[in-house]
Amino acid sequence: MEVSFNKEVQQLRQGAGTTFHGEGILAITKALLQSGVAYVGGYQGAPVSHLLDVMVQAGDYLSELGVHVEACSNEASAAAMLGASIHYPLRGAVTWKSVVGTNVAADALSNLSSPGITGGALIVVGEDYGDGASVIQERTYAFALKSSMLLIDPRPDLQVMVRMVEEGFALSEAANTPAFLQLRIRACHVRGSFECKDNIAPAVSSRHLMEDPAAFDYGRLAHPPATFRHEKLKSAERLPAARRYIVEHGLNELFPGKREDLGLIVQGGIYNALIRALQQFGLADAFGDSELPILNLNVTYPLAPEQIADFCRDKRAVLVVEEGQPEFIEQEVAVILRRLGIDTALHGKDVLPMAGEYSVEAIAGGLAAFVGRHAPELPLAGGKQWLDDIVARREKVAAELAEPLPARPPGFCIGCPERPVFSAVKLAQQEVGKVHVAADIGCHAFATFEPFSMGHTILGYGMSLASRAGVSPMMKRRTLSVMGDGGFWHNGLLTGVESALFNGDDAVLLILKNGYTSATGTQEIISTPDDEVKAKAPNKHQSLVDRNVTIETTLRGIGVQWLKVVHSYRVEEMKKTLEEAFTTDFAGLKVIIAEGECQLERQRRVKPWIAGKLKRGERVERVKYGVDEDVCSGDHSCIRLSGCPTLTLKDSPDPLRVDPVATVIDGCVGCGLCGENAHAATLCPSFYRGEVVQNPRLGERLLARLRSAVIGLLQPA
Amino acid sequence: MSPHTAQLQQQSSSTFPARPAGRPYTVLIAALGGEGGGVLAEWLVEVALRCGYYAQSTSIPGVAQRTGATTYYVEIHPEPLAVLGGRRPILSLAPAPGGVDLFIASELLEAVRYVANGLVSPDRSLVIASTSRTLTTAERMQMGDGRMDEAALVETLHRHSQRCIAFDIAAATRAAGTAPSAVMFGAIAASGLLPFAREEWERVVRESGRGVEASLRGFARAWDVVRAGGEPEAVAPPAAAAAPTGAIDGFPAEVQDMLVPGLARVQDYQDAAYGRLYLERVRQVLEAERRSDPAALNGYALTRETARFLALWMAFDDIVRVARLKCSASRFSRVRSEVKAGEGDLLRIVDLFKPGIPEIAGLLPPGLERRLVRWEARRRAAGKPPFGFSLHLSTTSVSGFLALRFLAGLRGLRRRGVRFGREQAMIEHWLTQIRNAAAQDWRCALEIALCGRLVKGYGSTNDRGRENLAHILDHLAAVAMPPEAKAEAVRKAREAALADEGGQALDRVLIGNGAPPRPVKAQPVVWLTRKAGSAAGR
Repeated sequence: MEVSFNKEVQQLRQGAGTTFHGEGILAITKALLQSGVAYVGGYQGAPVSHLLDVMVQAGDYLSELGVHVEACSNEASAAAMLGASIHYPLRGAVTWKSVVGTNVAADALSNLSSPGITGGALIVVGEDYGDGASVIQERTYAFALKSSMLLIDPRPDLQVMVRMVEEGFALSEAANTPAFLQLRIRACHVRGSFECKDNIAPAVSSRHLMEDPAAFDYGRLAHPPATFRHEKLKSAERLPAARRYIVEHGLNELFPGKREDLGLIVQGGIYNALIRALQQFGLADAFGDSELPILNLNVTYPLAPEQIADFCRDKRAVLVVEEGQPEFIEQEVAVILRRLGIDTALHGKDVLPMAGEYSVEAIAGGLAAFVGRHAPELPLAGGKQWLDDIVARREKVAAELAEPLPARPPGFCIGCPERPVFSAVKLAQQEVGKVHVAADIGCHAFATFEPFSMGHTILGYGMSLASRAGVSPMMKRRTLSVMGDGGFWHNGLLTGVESALFNGDDAVLLILKNGYTSATGTQEIISTPDDEVKAKAPNKHQSLVDRNVTIETTLRGIGVQWLKVVHSYRVEEMKKTLEEAFTTDFAGLKVIIAEGECQLERQRRVKPWIAGKLKRGERVERVKYGVDEDVCSGDHSCIRLSGCPTLTLKDSPDPLRVDPVATVIDGCVGCGLCGENAHAATLCPSFYRGEVVQNPRLGERLLARLRSAVIGLLQPA
Repeated sequence: MSPHTAQLQQQSSSTFPARPAGRPYTVLIAALGGEGGGVLAEWLVEVALRCGYYAQSTSIPGVAQRTGATTYYVEIHPEPLAVLGGRRPILSLAPAPGGVDLFIASELLEAVRYVANGLVSPDRSLVIASTSRTLTTAERMQMGDGRMDEAALVETLHRHSQRCIAFDIAAATRAAGTAPSAVMFGAIAASGLLPFAREEWERVVRESGRGVEASLRGFARAWDVVRAGGEPEAVAPPAAAAAPTGAIDGFPAEVQDMLVPGLARVQDYQDAAYGRLYLERVRQVLEAERRSDPAALNGYALTRETARFLALWMAFDDIVRVARLKCSASRFSRVRSEVKAGEGDLLRIVDLFKPGIPEIAGLLPPGLERRLVRWEARRRAAGKPPFGFSLHLSTTSVSGFLALRFLAGLRGLRRRGVRFGREQAMIEHWLTQIRNAAAQDWRCALEIALCGRLVKGYGSTNDRGRENLAHILDHLAAVAMPPEAKAEAVRKAREAALADEGGQALDRVLIGNGAPPRPVKAQPVVWLTRKAGSAAGR
């Protein structure tokens, strides 16, 4: 990738006595080094991509420390990497986006947590839940529960988050159990500070290698009959050890309050929202001093029954504030209280919403019900009024606005090479009829939004081709599966291509080869063009993905017979190729590779290149498209075929016309799609391409002068 | 009181409601991907830290580089760190609805979205919003005008905030040559919410390293506008307000603003005789209107709208007109400014045409036209794609320019061409319906006149519009129903025809009013020879 994390890499070097200022995810990264981590791996995905990105760029410093970093091909590969900690005293950390990444990793995680670990194993998951999330809404909690893994959910204060990383490794080792550390989206991006410690170079590391492998120990294999013993160990030894550690080291925080008869149990990650909700009723101050005692669970699995019991015993009622469904913690608290015969009233999802992010407003609603029932003498009126006002305000604005506000989903970047492909798919369907489109995860999923509104299902990353296996045998027309190169390498090659070939399926696969896993931040993959190729390319505008043919050779090698590679900007050619794939007599798997390098990456090369040339006074040619305002008739079919943010509307300068005309605004990178569409769809003749030459050569200047003199003689006003 | 607070009170003219002790300052920022929202949030935390305050920011960056909406949220504890004695305030990671002191948005619709979500309080929140729009795809892709009413959006902000300062952040950004983040930073600084002196804010910008001068220009611009309480309303003179010169005799004043440019358009398009035909046609509608509305209670709106759409239709778009527009000198200079070509820069204009058989055939007399169309139909029936020349015409080269001049000179051919005759027949049909309707009900006539809007564009777009209009005229206008109901039905049908390309909405309106749906159009179909049970492969 062309983005530089220089500043962040420097921050990783900070030592004791300094204060770190920055984002949560970078603090976690630094905390790994403070904990003596020996190896780090993972698969990118918001909101935790930054961890791996910075680690990869910090290569020099990490090799000084002897820390190994691996950019894994998917989450399963990252989880399997933790196998190093089964036998060896190596602290390891991996990261991915959850719950989707944990789903992919689940096989390895089960096989890791069964034998258990020697060196601490930490899985930093970005809990992509609630506002801003991009995946299905499920909890990572279930995985911790079913595999008896530990789940750390730290209070979003950098100091606490860093401590929980350090303690997390120790806890993992004390319980011989891998631990999840989950961070919600906002916690990853929270900007705060903590007091640094020195980084610890691991004792065993890529600088200090082990002489011999561990002795053979069948008991460490996830294989029967050892697995039967493992299951017993989990409940008999490991979880009890974890509970002891949690209590002895005070990982969960007890904040006392004046109202000893009531209590709140909260997941660490939503503690701040709880405090703000309490503040709305005047029940807490700016520093979190609360009227109601709070048990803040920085470790949400396992719970320590004695700690829960001690907290609840002398209270009339307790509210469990637990985000997401189902209410795992509340259920366990209920079991603990019931078994011990403690008759404290228990509330949770009966007064709080079952689903959705626990925003301040959501928690406040639950608090109002809980406190109103058990301590109506507390002053709740102000907070309730505030809640009512919000609802009234929303209704009022909605009533005033004649229609709902149009949504603004993310879309393809300006100049994105994937946009023309969907223009072509739209045009091809006008010829051959509508087809079932199996969509996938990646930038290309933006085609599910307007103006393309394309895609019937999304079954997971790299799953599009596999997800049509039951559809295509049932349909007269062929189906189309769309996949990015990221998804192809993550999963699609095996779950999709191999399966389709083996079964002799009649299917069409469209691979968008832009050279990176772009939706996650343009991380490099095995089919990314080499740095050397990029450095040598004389024209930085040029797409270089054709220089890496790993996808093509892989497909041919596995047995794909019908394979076409089309430059993604040749809309007409792409349209014809799609039509051919949909209609050819060839009945097997047909693969079309749409080739065009990610525009973000190209622009990052182009900008400094152009700036340098202009500074030196060299000749520079740039292209911008435009619309002739007097030719455009205001039908906007060009926009319905493109959706490019720079192709927008302005009032028609013509007093006779009522509809706004299309216009190309600043920011156009001259990608050429407007021209391609105008031709491929026979749109309208209003588009022009403007080629501007800065610092032109003498010969060009003279020729231009001559031309304009001749034209000037014949030109109407 | 800290020294910063003292300075501030001398500077600030703004008023924020009194705040309870210990309540954090809260700033919510709504930006779009690529506008520097992340930098802005970082700067805000930076200025607070520098002035000795405890601050926290968070964000929902979304898929930030990719044009979607992004939000940033900053809280700052109101007492300096020095008096906290090591205690750490607990700040929220997300704004509580109504708990926002300052909400700033770089785009108007996004500003309203947060107001609609209830985040902004009419008792507490200052809203600083850009009046600039980045249109959503949903607004841009409509066949007519899908844009939200900007004045109504600004009005919503004023009504639901404690105070609202609206100014064009995009224009200020362009003028300063910086990023929106710098302008927004200046606006937040100037709001007076936070007790930090201007120098402190500017120092953060200065020490950020890149593009400092431009950032400071943007900062200063926003500072001035916000301190002045917003921009004076920019009054853009509406294009139609310019008094037309040379009013045309025999027509009321109310229609001159359409009639004068309409006549000019038609004459320029063909010739003086064509202009006379235009006037005659308008005159007939005027007479019908005078009979229908003798007191001119409606201000001659029927004649005016007919004059508008009639001129556009009579000067229908064809190769000749496009060539004429493309080679004019005013167009060359307009393109030069649109692509921002500098003084010494060379400009090459490449025009993208794809004239097909219908465009060429339309200029030919009936006999030739029939043969050409039949040839094309045979090709299409054989499964070949429509015939067309994909041209990249370099209009700034001598040969390219001459080609355009040649095409522009084919004006004489037009009158004898098939399309000209067809358009005239269709126009007459429309005008007759308007006049007939006027005899019964003025409003119904107006609705039919407004249907002229459906006819626009080139190729298939134009075909679709004309077919929709013809269908409405022949079927909906022909259904027996009370005049008011018919006017309403025609209006709905017109709006539906602009709602979707496929015409489903129009069909629904037609059926709902007792008219037949549009006929199914013949289209070449590609058959796939897949039969049930014939699993391919193994």
